[in-house]
Amino acid sequence: MIFTVLIPLLLACFIPFISKFKHKVHTGIFVLLIPLIIFIYFIQFAGSGFEPVRHTYNWIPSLDINFDFHLDGLSLLFALLISGIGALVVLYSIYYLDRSEPLGHFYVYLMMFMSAMLGIVLSDNVFVLYTFWELTSISSFLLIGYWHFNERSRYGALKSMMITIFGGLSMFGGFALLSVITGTTSIQAMIAKTDAILASPYMPLALGFLLLGAFSKSAQFPFHIWLPDAMEAPTPVSAYLHSATMVKAGLYLVARFSPVFGNFEWFFIIVSIAGIVTLCWGSYMAVHQTDLKAILAYSTISQLGMIMAMLGFGTKAAIFAAVFHILNHATFKGSLFMVAGTVDHETGTRDIRKLGGLLTFMPITATFALFGTFSMAGIPLPFLNGFYSKELFFKSTIKLQDGMSATASILVDIIPYLAVLGSIFTFVYSLYFLFGTFGGKTQLDKLSKKPHEAPPGMLVSPGILVLGVILIGLFPSVVNGTFIAHAAEAVYGEQVVKDIYFWHGWDAPAFRMSLVVVGLGAVLTATRTRWNGIYQVLPGKLSANKVYDTIMGKLDSYSRKITTFYMTGSLRTYIAIILSTIVVVTFGFMLATGGFTIDFSNLAPVTVIEVAVALMITAAAVGTIYAKKNLAAVLIVGVAGYGVALLFVIYRAPDLALTQLVVETVSVALFLLCFYHLPELRKQSEPLGKKTINAIVSVSFGAMVTMIGISAHSSDWFGTISDYFLETSHSLGGGDNVVNVILVDMRGLDTLFEITVLGIAALAIYTLIKLKTNKGGK
Amino acid sequence: MEFIISILAGVLFATAIYNLLQKQFLRLVIGSVLLSHGAHLFLLTMGELKRGNPPILTEGVSDYADPLPQALILTSIVISFGITSLLLVLAYRTAEENNTDNMEQLRGNENE
Amino acid sequence: MSNLAVLPIIIPLIAGIILAFFPKWLTLVRILSKIFIIGNLAVVSFAAWLVFNQGSIILETGDWAAPYGIIIVADQLSILLVLTTNVVAAACAFYAPHSLSDRKEKYYFYTFFFMLISGVSGAFLTGDIFNMFVFFEVLLMASYGLIVLGGDKVQLRESMKYVFINLFSSMLFVTAVGFLYGAVGTVNMAQIAQRVQEVDQQGILTTVGILLFFVFAVKAALFPLYYWMPKSYAVPNPVISALFGALLTKVGIYAIIRIFSLIFVHKIELTHEAFIWISGLSMIFGVLGALSTNNIKLIIAYNIIPAIGFILMGIAVFNQDGVSGSIYYLIHDMLIKASLFLLAGTIAYAAGSSDLRKFSGLIHYYPFLGWMLFVSGFVLAGIPPFSGFIGKVLLLRGALAAEEIAIVIIALLSSLLILYSIMKIFIRGFWGEKDESFQPKSIKGRTVPVVVLLALSVFLGIGAEFIYPSIESISKYLLNPAEYINAVMEG
Repeated sequence: MIFTVLIPLLLACFIPFISKFKHKVHTGIFVLLIPLIIFIYFIQFAGSGFEPVRHTYNWIPSLDINFDFHLDGLSLLFALLISGIGALVVLYSIYYLDRSEPLGHFYVYLMMFMSAMLGIVLSDNVFVLYTFWELTSISSFLLIGYWHFNERSRYGALKSMMITIFGGLSMFGGFALLSVITGTTSIQAMIAKTDAILASPYMPLALGFLLLGAFSKSAQFPFHIWLPDAMEAPTPVSAYLHSATMVKAGLYLVARFSPVFGNFEWFFIIVSIAGIVTLCWGSYMAVHQTDLKAILAYSTISQLGMIMAMLGFGTKAAIFAAVFHILNHATFKGSLFMVAGTVDHETGTRDIRKLGGLLTFMPITATFALFGTFSMAGIPLPFLNGFYSKELFFKSTIKLQDGMSATASILVDIIPYLAVLGSIFTFVYSLYFLFGTFGGKTQLDKLSKKPHEAPPGMLVSPGILVLGVILIGLFPSVVNGTFIAHAAEAVYGEQVVKDIYFWHGWDAPAFRMSLVVVGLGAVLTATRTRWNGIYQVLPGKLSANKVYDTIMGKLDSYSRKITTFYMTGSLRTYIAIILSTIVVVTFGFMLATGGFTIDFSNLAPVTVIEVAVALMITAAAVGTIYAKKNLAAVLIVGVAGYGVALLFVIYRAPDLALTQLVVETVSVALFLLCFYHLPELRKQSEPLGKKTINAIVSVSFGAMVTMIGISAHSSDWFGTISDYFLETSHSLGGGDNVVNVILVDMRGLDTLFEITVLGIAALAIYTLIKLKTNKGGK
Repeated sequence: MEFIISILAGVLFATAIYNLLQKQFLRLVIGSVLLSHGAHLFLLTMGELKRGNPPILTEGVSDYADPLPQALILTSIVISFGITSLLLVLAYRTAEENNTDNMEQLRGNENE
Repeated sequence: MSNLAVLPIIIPLIAGIILAFFPKWLTLVRILSKIFIIGNLAVVSFAAWLVFNQGSIILETGDWAAPYGIIIVADQLSILLVLTTNVVAAACAFYAPHSLSDRKEKYYFYTFFFMLISGVSGAFLTGDIFNMFVFFEVLLMASYGLIVLGGDKVQLRESMKYVFINLFSSMLFVTAVGFLYGAVGTVNMAQIAQRVQEVDQQGILTTVGILLFFVFAVKAALFPLYYWMPKSYAVPNPVISALFGALLTKVGIYAIIRIFSLIFVHKIELTHEAFIWISGLSMIFGVLGALSTNNIKLIIAYNIIPAIGFILMGIAVFNQDGVSGSIYYLIHDMLIKASLFLLAGTIAYAAGSSDLRKFSGLIHYYPFLGWMLFVSGFVLAGIPPFSGFIGKVLLLRGALAAEEIAIVIIALLSSLLILYSIMKIFIRGFWGEKDESFQPKSIKGRTVPVVVLLALSVFLGIGAEFIYPSIESISKYLLNPAEYINAVMEG
């Protein structure tokens, strides 16, 4: 099974070589083989006696991240859709994409996507699933940006990436949380531990994380905004990724986890609301579009919402209908996208305002569109699969269980009405699409090409899909037994036996709902131009797009504002902020841990001479601040340095004193040398506020180190390791000056690298002086 | 006495930082020098001050000052010297290239 | 055999010294530097192999037993970091001749370079806290030499800030080491750990620990101490930026990992809880910084900050998964930051500007460069199956197990924005219409080192099974400080 997932990815590596010959043979012809092989592989599993199959391939076993492929009914349905529609889309693309396009790139991305999508539906391991999930986002990004010289393509690509990867990361968080709660990375094992998950206080968070991922990927309101902009991708991509497969990954995820969360009431509430709102909003907005692909995009959003809602209902009937509709939607929406692509290809436009009356020019395409749109609208005809699932949807909306909390019951009451409302608009935009393109008057003057029927090759793929629409409609129980029942079982957790009938009788509530949809839908279609003004009110100026644009814009402007606010480039600001942080936090810790200790025993006696030297150093240190001449300042620093040397003498450190004297002398000389040419010190001209801040920062920092120093000195728990040095200096070190022995022997490494530091400093100084910028040099 | 030296070291830190918060290069370098004095004095205080003889072994003496801090300070003094010299030259060269010894005029902008 | 532990410090030192003698014979210098770095890499690889198979190599320098002499401790963590350091360094050594002018190379670039490696390796390997200060100074001094190399206006200006801030933190380092010595009477890290444990980290010890944390946090560029970093890392030559970005800040975070897993582990509820906040704020402000600019080098430089935040996050939660995640992320970030800085340098060279507003459509001329950047973006953001992902899985699991939900959400959101900051370069710089008048330059020699680094990053993710068990054992080792203490104290 791993081969089916990896074949597209592996063979994709060869596509760039094959595409060198694209002027002789269209690259797509080679590529077509890949989905076909995969489809044939998977179709062998289908049948009424299907049992889940499991294959495991190690990847990172020590982290419990493995390719655990679990093929159950749901995965099989998706795998067949991915490979089947994939094959049709590749076939279609051969006629749609011209050989002058960078075909290599196109097919590489497409195969990358196919691998990833198969990986999503087959992986039982959550982290592997996430891996493939992000790979679909990446390939979708690349495909939307395929014509990246268009500003709109780049915008759409970025938008889809930001939203779907946002969701992906959130889902990743959910997976990590679930794996921490259950201690496993396998979805099946998680389902087995449902009780543990439901008992965890973090369950709502995990659910929230997962749903964000699912909703953003499946374009649920308000994350739907990326899908219309994704229509910048070539039409085969829209048909494949953005209607039949990738956008259903979110549905897949919800379906996969519904055995876990299905009994949690908020799962029902959130998912149903999201689905129903998306259904209504998507279909309502679709009517307002003028671009054929935009109509289909909003239609896809709305249909995804409908399936999402059914998954939220979670009843046996609803899940069955949801799974059935996943299949049906793929067939009719796939064909409609191809129709839109064909129209675009043959007329040069997708703007419905310029189209019309194409029936006479493109009769076959028009027929396909007729079947597709009627099926989508749910017109009660026995050979349209869309009607069956629509009917099942209605039925599931009125069969929702009671006995839930107040919120849930209100929801149960209003869902059927919203379902009908959404479906009415579905009806309207379906007919609007059909008649706007193929009915009415022709406007040849507005078209850049003279329209004619598409070449036969281009008609094959939509033709097969329309055939699917009809066959599923005619023989629903065949499809049911082979695919749907198994898929529904995988989602629901136990066997789901449902029979699909066309006729339920005049008094069946679902049928009455359908009649209301058709009746009201027809009226609204006929009067569409009269109530069109409503879009000025709703959405009017409201739009989730604006929210996205605002967020992205603000992200840029605020990040700039915030960053330039504190990254001023001023060393003084930097030091002030760094030091204040250190002071505040360190004092905080000192208080919190009761760190300050002071111990007056064990102190050396105070003598006058030390106090005098200390005062001298203090005076010199303070004096540096007030010095007004370079020379004076340097000399004052020298005084401080010599003072420190004096202290060393007093404190029995003759070597230090000597070194300090030498260093101080050389330093002063260097100071004088370097600052001879520089401007004189100026009077401090800063405002008082700045001065105060400086003073506060420096004094508090000084106080802090003094306090820590006193405490450290007062903490006398241990003897020092120095006694050892005193004992062994002579016997082992061979010297009597213990400091020297330590430096050259016990801590010889320090000394070696101390000299190294000096050496590097010397080289750096040499470089600084010698290597001056040569204008013209690099 | 240790406390007096600790306070002195604290004062050196404070004045050093006050200098580091100024604009002119010379003051900044002076600040860094004072800072190293402060650090060294702290290190010195951590051994027990003024107890016993200088740590040079002599017959008949058993009480010596703590030699380890002295060794560490020595290393640190040399390193500080290296940095100070580099800083001086760097300050000189920067002032020469940028025609100013005022740090506040060297903020720069984003795209360079 | 234990002398092997000091070789990764000594070989670069000797190499640096040798190369200082004839800097003008460029051809020879270039060849020798490559030989030295490859040789060192081989030695380190062998040492790493030994350490992972036979346990830590501990060297008592000058035969002075612990805790009296300076101890070099090549344990799994330090040797792994030294190995990564040498890999990055080797890539930089091969990139350098293509990017530096001959004049810069002649002015002791390779000496500074090897001294930097020596200092970094020493800081990783030493078991003595004052010795660590010395190695910090070695690497800082070498970095001062590198950052001023070339000596133009902007560079000197940023060097001033860089040197002053680092000097300050160095002096604070000495002071804090002094305080620690005053309280526990030793500078040997194992013995400090032992003694801190004996008194249960009471009194002033936690405060001293926090002071040390700040010393390292300044070097590691954590919030809010990173102000000096982005500009000074963005202005020098790309090869120098790569060395700084991959190595210098990582030394700081390594020191934090070491000190706060070995010594100051007895007040975790205070110290490590504070780290959670710092790591979260680093992620937020770092990524905002990356989004704020159009300068591609600055974008990469700012991206160092959230990465350090991620690494700190694992230490902060301080459990098996968290610490493993930190170390995984640390290794990952060293590789990817080096490759991104080199990549950004190459892009800036190819496009003739590092300002995103000034170029577009590069993919038509440099497709390979574009795709490398594209992949790097996903590697950096931790998108699977690349290396950042493995680190992120571990970090998230660790944080969730510690019930730190807020940091998880911040981490996820900042991952998205990190990706955005890199994709911005791809979309604006590489996508777009073909500019027919553009004159492409050859970038051949510059891409090879990047490819190698990127391939290693990718392998770190896809081949995680080969690496993760080692990381896991490091994390177990870090969570059990007794092992380190015993190994050092009992020789």
